[in-house]
Amino acid sequence: MVNTDLLVVGGGPAGLAAADTAASLGIDVLLVDEGRAVGGQLVKQTHKFFGSGEHYAGVRGIDIPKLLNREENSQRVRILTDTTVVGCYEDGVVSALTGEDNYFKIKAKRAIFATGATEKFLSFPGNDLPGVYGAGAVQTLMNQFGVIPGKRVLMVGAGNIGIIVSYQLLQAGVPVAAVVEAAPTIGGYLVHASKLARAGVPILTRHTILEARGKDAVESAVIAQLDDNWQVVPGTEEEVDVDVVCLAVGLSPVVDLLRQLGCEMKYVPELGGHVPIRDKNLKTATGWIYVAGDVAGVEEASAAMVEGRLAGAAAAAELGADKQEADTVISRCLASLDALRGGPVGEKIRSGIAKLEGGAVNA
Amino acid sequence: MVRFKFEGRELEGREGDTIAAALHANGIKVLSHSRRHHRPRGFFCAIGQCSSCLMEVNGEPNVRVCIVPLEEGMDVKLQPATGGELKW
Ligand SMILES: Cc1cc2nc3c(=O)[nH]c(=O)nc-3n(C[C@H](O)[C@H](O)[C@H](O)COP(=O)(O)OP(=O)(O)OC[C@H]3O[C@@H](n4cnc5c(N)ncnc54)[C@H](O)[C@@H]3O)c2cc1C
Ligand code: FES
Repeated sequence: MVNTDLLVVGGGPAGLAAADTAASLGIDVLLVDEGRAVGGQLVKQTHKFFGSGEHYAGVRGIDIPKLLNREENSQRVRILTDTTVVGCYEDGVVSALTGEDNYFKIKAKRAIFATGATEKFLSFPGNDLPGVYGAGAVQTLMNQFGVIPGKRVLMVGAGNIGIIVSYQLLQAGVPVAAVVEAAPTIGGYLVHASKLARAGVPILTRHTILEARGKDAVESAVIAQLDDNWQVVPGTEEEVDVDVVCLAVGLSPVVDLLRQLGCEMKYVPELGGHVPIRDKNLKTATGWIYVAGDVAGVEEASAAMVEGRLAGAAAAAELGADKQEADTVISRCLASLDALRGGPVGEKIRSGIAKLEGGAVNA
Repeated sequence: MVRFKFEGRELEGREGDTIAAALHANGIKVLSHSRRHHRPRGFFCAIGQCSSCLMEVNGEPNVRVCIVPLEEGMDVKLQPATGGELKW
């Protein structure tokens, strides 16, 4: 049994920020991540960040983990990579697996779950064929391992992720046949979308994928136009010659472990699906578990980092850190989250969070 | 270069690759098969969350090859959809 004051599950921006903050408040932290290295989704983000200066805008995603994993706190933060948390028990014991055979238990006084989110799926015939990838997977292949996903891609979804990954595909020399988007407008930032348009990639709004075809892997895809009621306009079906279908239709929180623990969930579409119910400081009703980042509601890396700091400081305060110091961090984080979620861009997230605060639980 | 085996074939991957990235670089897209209809399955999420890439590695079934680092001499195989014999 490994004992620790604070266990952080997941070393993406939220988990790293949580560990860093708790450590700087004098708390010993054990951080586990199932990946080969910490960084979470950031390790594949070679593009410069959008968002505000305070939150690393202009820094490339891949460089952010270095900023969060600071030398001066290395004494207090123990990091185990290639380690998956596989089970959680009500008595506060968490079990983990390093590699394929080193199984051990962890007993923590407090834990912060920052397990992130995973790609949403779409239903259409052939969606299970090899060659249908999540956008994050395409980024992983290309940007982390330098492997191109295929010869020609159909991108599904014109939000920020779909647009950015399309552009990165072009940069890697992989043609993008089209970007289809079921909504009537492009969701991603228009600067990025116009780069694609200039490169000759059609962005087809009110279009969707109907089918992926192929024997052992994708050989083509059928797309079609949608009418105002999201119904296929007959006769607009078109078969495009692609070997990759990339889905960028959103992410949903990875909440399985929290469910095991009996954390209460609520379905909030604005936040990506089922999310754990928690208080302002991100503490769940279990009494020892906090959540931070995409697992608490899909947003962006900037918000994930601030949430990490908030949960880290709140947990540290409970573990005996200087109350005043912790409170200062907490109020700064709360203000920062308000600022990040301000304005029209943050409206969806604000209404999602408002739903968590009141209303019936329909887990 | 890291040498490994896939279904008995000798292949090469690069230092730092995951098993899935190395297979993909070698043009191998089918990593598993569905349980009932044995439809081919490939790489989908790349972060260990979707179970689409479970393979047998060095005799161990159900390894998520998308997040496991490639090592010299690894023996990678397609597995029966149920993960093969249970070894207790
Ligand atoms: C393609 C793409 C482009 C993006 N571009 C931007 C951008 O430009 N700007 C921006 O602000 N945001 C961007 N984002 C969003 C941003 O990456 C995420 O919001 C952010 O990474 C969320 O951080 P997180 O720490 O909550 O989760 P993640 O980064 O997903 O990290 C979760 C970590 O938990 C680990 N984990 C999960 N389960 C377990 C377990 N059981 N045991 C151990 N470890 C576990 C995972 O290995 C992972 O490292 C982008 C996202 C994507 C997919
Ligand atoms: S590709 Fe999803 S678990 Fe490996």
